[in-house]
Amino acid sequence: MRSLRLFLYGIPVALLLLLAAAFVNATYLSVAKKNEMSIGTLGEPSTLNPIQQADSASSQIGGLIFNGLIKYNQDLEIVGDLATGWELSQETTFQFATEEEAKTATIPASQLNTAFNFKGEISNTEQKGKNLVITLRQPGLEVSEKIAGFFEKNDLHPLPFPALEPGGKERPFKAEPIIRFTLRDGVRWHDGAPFTSADVAFTCRAIMDEKVASPRRSDFDLVESVGTPDPKTVIVRYKKPFSPALLSWMGAILPEHLLGKLDPSKWPEAYNRKPIGTGPFKFDSWKTNEFIRLKKNPDYFLGSPWLDSIVFRVLPDPLTLQLAFQTKQVDFWDVSPWAVKSLEKDPRLDLFSVPGNRYNYIGWNLRRPMFQDLRVRQALAQAVNVAQMIKHIIYGRGVQSTGIFTPQVWFFDPSVKPLPYDPAAARKLLDEAGWKVGPDGIRVKEGKRFSFTLLANNGNEVRRDIATLVQDDLKQVGIEVKVEIYEWAVLLKRFVNKGEFDAIVMGWGLGYDFDQYGIWHSSQTHPEELNFIGYNNPEVDHLLTDLRQEYARPEIIRLAGKLQQAIYADQPYLFLFVPEETSVMWKGSYRIRRPGPSPGEWIDAPVTMTKAGWSYDLVWFYRPEYAPKQ
Amino acid sequence: MFIILFALLAGGTALLSQFGHHWPFDPNLTNLEQKLLPPSSQHWLGTDNLGRDVLSRMLHGASISLTVGLIAVFVSLAIGMVVGALAGYFGGITDQVLMRSVDALLCFPTFFLMLTAVALLGPSLINIVVVIGLVSWTGTARLVRGEFLTLREAEYVKSARVLGQNAWTIITRHILPNAAAPILVTAVLGIPEAILSEAGLSFLGFGVQPPQATWGNIIADGKTYLLDAWWLILFPGLAILIASLSFFLAGDALREAAESRG
Amino acid sequence: MTSFLIRRLALSVVLLFIISIISFFIVTMTPGSPYPWGELNPKISAEVKANFRKKFHLDRPLHEQYTLMMKDLFTGDLRSIKDDRPVMGKIMERLPATLALNITAILISLSFGTLLGVYAARHAGRWQDMAGSFVAFLFIALPGFWVSYLVAIVLVKGFGVPILGTRSYGIVFPSGFAAGLDTLWHLLIPASILAIGGIASQSRYLRATMIGTLREDYIRTARAKGLAEETVLYKHALRNSIRPLVTGIGMLLPALISGSVIIESIFAYPGMGRLFYEAVLERDYPTIVALNFIGAALILLGNLLSDLLYAAVDPRVRLE
Repeated sequence: MRSLRLFLYGIPVALLLLLAAAFVNATYLSVAKKNEMSIGTLGEPSTLNPIQQADSASSQIGGLIFNGLIKYNQDLEIVGDLATGWELSQETTFQFATEEEAKTATIPASQLNTAFNFKGEISNTEQKGKNLVITLRQPGLEVSEKIAGFFEKNDLHPLPFPALEPGGKERPFKAEPIIRFTLRDGVRWHDGAPFTSADVAFTCRAIMDEKVASPRRSDFDLVESVGTPDPKTVIVRYKKPFSPALLSWMGAILPEHLLGKLDPSKWPEAYNRKPIGTGPFKFDSWKTNEFIRLKKNPDYFLGSPWLDSIVFRVLPDPLTLQLAFQTKQVDFWDVSPWAVKSLEKDPRLDLFSVPGNRYNYIGWNLRRPMFQDLRVRQALAQAVNVAQMIKHIIYGRGVQSTGIFTPQVWFFDPSVKPLPYDPAAARKLLDEAGWKVGPDGIRVKEGKRFSFTLLANNGNEVRRDIATLVQDDLKQVGIEVKVEIYEWAVLLKRFVNKGEFDAIVMGWGLGYDFDQYGIWHSSQTHPEELNFIGYNNPEVDHLLTDLRQEYARPEIIRLAGKLQQAIYADQPYLFLFVPEETSVMWKGSYRIRRPGPSPGEWIDAPVTMTKAGWSYDLVWFYRPEYAPKQ
Repeated sequence: MFIILFALLAGGTALLSQFGHHWPFDPNLTNLEQKLLPPSSQHWLGTDNLGRDVLSRMLHGASISLTVGLIAVFVSLAIGMVVGALAGYFGGITDQVLMRSVDALLCFPTFFLMLTAVALLGPSLINIVVVIGLVSWTGTARLVRGEFLTLREAEYVKSARVLGQNAWTIITRHILPNAAAPILVTAVLGIPEAILSEAGLSFLGFGVQPPQATWGNIIADGKTYLLDAWWLILFPGLAILIASLSFFLAGDALREAAESRG
Repeated sequence: MTSFLIRRLALSVVLLFIISIISFFIVTMTPGSPYPWGELNPKISAEVKANFRKKFHLDRPLHEQYTLMMKDLFTGDLRSIKDDRPVMGKIMERLPATLALNITAILISLSFGTLLGVYAARHAGRWQDMAGSFVAFLFIALPGFWVSYLVAIVLVKGFGVPILGTRSYGIVFPSGFAAGLDTLWHLLIPASILAIGGIASQSRYLRATMIGTLREDYIRTARAKGLAEETVLYKHALRNSIRPLVTGIGMLLPALISGSVIIESIFAYPGMGRLFYEAVLERDYPTIVALNFIGAALILLGNLLSDLLYAAVDPRVRLE
């Protein structure tokens, strides 16, 4: 009896005591911090194998463990990473019916250059049997086409090569761009093995391997071969000019010595959750749904990081992230715009903002008759008060979007001006388009009410609020909007992939790539493809194709500008806004000390936002209480 | 005493939600200049992130939340009673088959069933109500079956059967009225469960869709602003708490009344 | 007895089979399909998607998918669509944290619930009883996520105490003891909130049985003998009231591995509930079906165990 009572009262009393003790402990816990950075992440990576992942959580962490051959620096210029240098060139092959003809066509490079008034664009010509191989200093089609024209004029007739894409143009030559990378010396994998060109070749093979199911595969479809003449040189040959291809080498390189002989079905256990890379941080441990910890790589080729370790904590929603930041359990927090205003006033915090590189939009399904009239789309754009959205949804932290590129990127065209908010003009345009106000205040045309469903995905407050405000704004001009919010998986499968929806609130964050073929080209409108609004404009199609074959920077800027103008004029999306990205940290919790331009020189600086984000150079972050000696 | 309390509360909320549709404000009226205002003399319970009046939304939400509760219980009672009555009255193989299906259904975690069902049917108000009803009838079925098993053997039922009355008449005339009390109790206790389920679904984003307000989705939508706008969480939560509590207490009072009578 | 066991086991196998079919079809019929690439990504070609589908047999007819999935489930080869890891491994990895949370919660609800129930029964019909009932119903009526939020606000805003995950991070603990207390703290908060409902139902249940027991003749006899009220209550009444509880232990089996999505999400606790919820959102069919299957198996096993215990405790019951 006594024991039963003891048990009955004992457990609750013991529990209460424990709770009290634990509370006291948690309250007065020593604030001595480890030399460890803690970062909160909303989503958990599915794998740390960089060629099998596509989500942002994975790439953030992967970026610290791995290196690509090249990378963006803090000003978003391309610089070497595992490669110290790279050279672009192109081999254009003309094939002739006879060796005789080829021989006649083989004119020394210098002569050709003079003939075309080139400044050394053609660096070599060489006859190989019936083939004439001309080496160009820069990839592209223009020079080769000029040479082809020159041959025709001189009664030389190169044989046509089949087009590489269905419906593409046959050309009298084969243009094969080549990138030659020179690799960095003395780089070692985290397990001590040397990094060589074989690793690069292997990574490319692995990406193309069906069993790996790599989402990066489309980047490498056009790779003809990867040559490794010596351990420090990689020569990549492409099937045709494709200028975004260089960017694909920012992707991480995998170790051949670990994975080369391992069947990809074994990777998930053997490698994907304990990767070996070349980056500044080594993988340390991973507890699912809890954290991933990386420790410093003292042998990193740019120097050992100051931090001992970085822990990525998986916090499933923005609210828990905020709670964790408030209790100093995570050091950085990507703040939602609405919170910025109150945090700015807090003297204990440092906030840094950078213009974002994603934009929100409403996509009109152009298969629906009501959206096919350009006047209607313009009216919709003018009826929605984007300025008010910026002011109230993202609290002024952003700018109005003027098309498919954000002001952040170097090929953005600032001359495109946003359509002004003008409900009167919108009403007039709708009247002109034949949509007259009906008895219930909703516009009617040929007996059909102007009423549509606007979709958004659940869990995204910004998009939900956009939908609500659009609903209000359009009601003012006599358009009825029904808002429906679905789970992401449902939204994709039921509506987006099939192209069966009226309008949808979405956003694109596409990195710094000018190639948007997949989103806007008229060939990409099938189920599951990304031109899900069914946009079709021959002019835009041409620009898209030209752009991805263009290597010269000024020309890219010109074409991208035309593309941006053409699409904005068409208003296939209602381009909304580009939100700023703001991060916050507790004042003075980190500083940066990085090597200066001259050897032995160190530059000490506070953490600042760069174009590439605040976390651009975590190698050189340090905690003041563990300040580096040198 | 609890019954009076309950009647007052239920009546009060129903009344408020009736004339409260546009009182004190239109619940869906956004006013961005007045967003996230703390409670004041103008907005008694503050405003949300789009400047909508929380009190108005809660009153509007009250009718929806209560409707969800009532209809879901109705659905669950209907199914539960039919299944329970058939199993209990006929017994034998019917009983075996029906009760084993109940067992099978109980093997699925309720919340899982709700999540998948809502994902399957889409989150409209009707669907959510039906889904909550559909997953919560097993308890009623077991209870009704139990009552029927006992009452089936009662003298007056036996004599009715001897007199050749058909099963339908016997069930509706003789057995059901005598099993009414416990069924009523489960019904009353079922209402708050349904309200809480809806709130839970809303929290996970599977609940009633905006702009329609329920107590659950006011909290769910307001959670982002938790640390700065406590009123978005506190008041609707209190409403759920008070409503559920009064239903539970009323149900309990009913049960005691029924027991002391029987 | 043996024939009873055989029949029950056979029935359970049939039920499990039916359940696995139902859950498979519910899951695959749910709108949406697995999309492991996060946001829409222009780099992911139709070919990559087709490869992915082929790899996980998503391109086969449903009945074939089902057979393949069941075969994999029993051979332990079932792999998650999300990260291509064995599903059983993913479940086992959650087990320690889940068990810790659930056992603590069960302990809290049993102990506090019993206390409250005995208290109410002892004062049956008086104001203490009313107050006890009120508290119990208040506990049932509390929406779990709302309480979690309030607790979170108070602890974070009021005291600045870390509450997320299974322990504090980035801190140099003064001693192993402090580290232990810290872990305990992170366990006790969600466990207490999880236990709220349990306290209520346990107290209601115990109150009812206790009141029944207290009316029994032997209690009257004991009282008549002049035994102290405490002795009567704890030695005689409670023991007999607790007996059905002992047999109910089988029912706790599924509760041990079950999870609460809501509480785990708010407290960022790595439990089974989140695994399941994330699997539903990502349409990770193998994980959903496996969790469901294991849950159902445990429920059936728990029922069987309860019946057996019941027979063992109460000699009047014969298993047929």
